[in-house]
Amino acid sequence: MFDYFKILENLKPEERDIHTMVREFVDAEIIPQVGDWWDEGTLPRNLTTKMGELGILGPTTPEEYGGSGVSSTAYGLICYELERGDSGIRSTASVQGSLVMYPIYAYGSEEQKKKYLPELAAGRMVGCFGLTESDGGSDPGAMRTRATKDGTDYVLNGSKMWITNSPIADIAVVWAKDDDGIIRGFIVPTDTRGFSAPKIKNKMSLRASVTGEIVLEDVRVPASSLLPGSKGLKSPLGCLTQARYGIAWGALGALESVLSTTLEYTKSRTTFGKPIAGRQLVQHKLVTMATQHSLGLMMAYHLGQNKDAGTMNYAQVSMAKRNNVRVALEGARMARELHGGNGITTEYPIIRHMLNLETVDTYEGTHDIHTLIVGRDLTGLNALE
Amino acid sequence: MKILCLIRQVPDAEARVKAKNGLVDLEGATLALDGMDEYGVEQALRINTDGANTVAVALGGARFEDAIRRALAMGLERAIHVESSEHLDVVTQAKILAKIVQEEQPDLVFCGGQHADSDSQALGAALAEALNWNQITWTTALEIENSSVKATHDVDDGKEQLELELPLVITTQQGLNEPRYPTLPNIMKAKKKEIRKASLADYGVAGGKVRVVKQEIQDKQRLNKLIDGKDPTAAAEELIKLLHVEAKVI
Ligand SMILES: Cc1cc2nc3c(=O)[nH]c(=O)nc-3n(C[C@H](O)[C@H](O)[C@H](O)COP(=O)(O)OP(=O)(O)OC[C@H]3O[C@@H](n4cnc5c(N)ncnc54)[C@H](O)[C@@H]3O)c2cc1C
Repeated sequence: MFDYFKILENLKPEERDIHTMVREFVDAEIIPQVGDWWDEGTLPRNLTTKMGELGILGPTTPEEYGGSGVSSTAYGLICYELERGDSGIRSTASVQGSLVMYPIYAYGSEEQKKKYLPELAAGRMVGCFGLTESDGGSDPGAMRTRATKDGTDYVLNGSKMWITNSPIADIAVVWAKDDDGIIRGFIVPTDTRGFSAPKIKNKMSLRASVTGEIVLEDVRVPASSLLPGSKGLKSPLGCLTQARYGIAWGALGALESVLSTTLEYTKSRTTFGKPIAGRQLVQHKLVTMATQHSLGLMMAYHLGQNKDAGTMNYAQVSMAKRNNVRVALEGARMARELHGGNGITTEYPIIRHMLNLETVDTYEGTHDIHTLIVGRDLTGLNALE
Repeated sequence: MKILCLIRQVPDAEARVKAKNGLVDLEGATLALDGMDEYGVEQALRINTDGANTVAVALGGARFEDAIRRALAMGLERAIHVESSEHLDVVTQAKILAKIVQEEQPDLVFCGGQHADSDSQALGAALAEALNWNQITWTTALEIENSSVKATHDVDDGKEQLELELPLVITTQQGLNEPRYPTLPNIMKAKKKEIRKASLADYGVAGGKVRVVKQEIQDKQRLNKLIDGKDPTAAAEELIKLLHVEAKVI
């Protein structure tokens, strides 16, 4: 791992072991193939099963529900390594762990936890998270999807947009407003009548990840589908805090990939009889990437310490997500530039990471939305709403 | 069946090794369980699938603990760590390890076929000698029925099939198996497994018989041989000749 300030040395032995294992897994099973998956616009379903077998899906979930109860730092390192492979693969793990398992764990009934968490942790079941709708993903409180009570059942109507894994999912955690206009979460099996999930085509980003819509036409679910503890916008936002935490680590994995590839490339590429890495302009870019990686990693590390100590707050998470993704994206653009023409082909991982990071900069709260969240926290003045 | 796996911690394949004051300095280098030893751990877990009666045995410095945790996280039941940062020659190592084998009474001992750091292949043989046991080296396939072992091992010009009775020392070779990743639940479980610590003195040994005087890093110079590609058949023949006769890699 690119670890200029020796952050890894502060970790607990098992955190280092988990990191080593995932790094080896990514080197052996993801990096050699992910370029092809990206080109083809697919992600093999059995990769989720493999991740489940290794225990890296929802790993902070307690053992009794099929998780391993690992620290948030270990979870962060898992996200880092998966995204060193590809942001799309980290997205699959984020959605499964932070956006599907977390709400079931945090807001679900005992019966729901027992039924779904072990299956999701093992990767035997794939979940998706339906919050965003087609107009104005940044303002989820304005959602139109409705859950109308009919007898003891709920009937769901509406549609969701940009939903990671919806076309391949077995269950969807769907957010909808109830008869009182309060946002509630529902676990909806995707084979329920009236549920469909068309795939979004022609994506030029996050291609090694399936994205779809969710269309709900009179989808009738029993009351036992409702996540009883979910109430109001803060419930889905609580999930997003978990996922954003993982992204703050993950983006740095992508940055490591483009940095290490560029270091190697610029040392062997020569112009005018000298390696380009021996030029001041090139070194400036390499040093900028390395410095931003180091700063970001220190932030992610402290965020993890705070999270496990119970002192992390959402504005810190927003700051880390906002910063770490943007520096990774800017680093990827520099790497693209330093690879010249080779930087635009998927023969090298550069353009793949660069294009992926455009999504990561947008989803889970856009860069600017996080600016406004942190700005509001700093000033007490609301420029967001 | 009871199985012992000898394990060592070595610089990771990617690790950059430096020399300091005429000796290799591993400070700051990434170390890992020797890949050859990993084959042994994996094989032990394929024989005793629940990990029962499988013991990792390590003889080396404090940092060997990482390799021990890895073996336990793969699934071995417990570990014995004779902690010493002294350089010990293979014969001295075998003397200590033989005493552990006598204490533990296993049916089978796995040992890496070749050390990734020193390239030595002697430890398995030295241990078999110290125990007066049979050994199978460079093992690529293994079948055990009751106390009889059928094994395939590499020899210079091909493969050899052997049939021997337990107890045995078996040294590994690439191809024996595909080692598993330690899963997250098993990494967490490994934290609670027993690692018994011992010292050289516990085995009546004061130190090794060989002293390392000097080590240096060899900088391999590239040969920069260019083959004229005008005639592809001739170029391919030339390349094969260079690889076979000069580089001796094929
Ligand atoms: C590949 C991919 C996968 C995704 N996966 C999921 C998923 O699994 N589940 C899910 O629910 N969603 C998912 N999303 C949706 C994602 O979270 C949204 O795209 C994101 O929240 C932005 O919403 P939007 O696209 O509607 O943009 P908009 O909200 O329309 O924003 C457009 C622009 O306006 C800016 N803007 C908006 N409001 C303000 C304001 N008040 N002040 C200043 N600027 C503002 C934004 O910063 C942005 O630049 C995914 C998106 C992508 C691209």
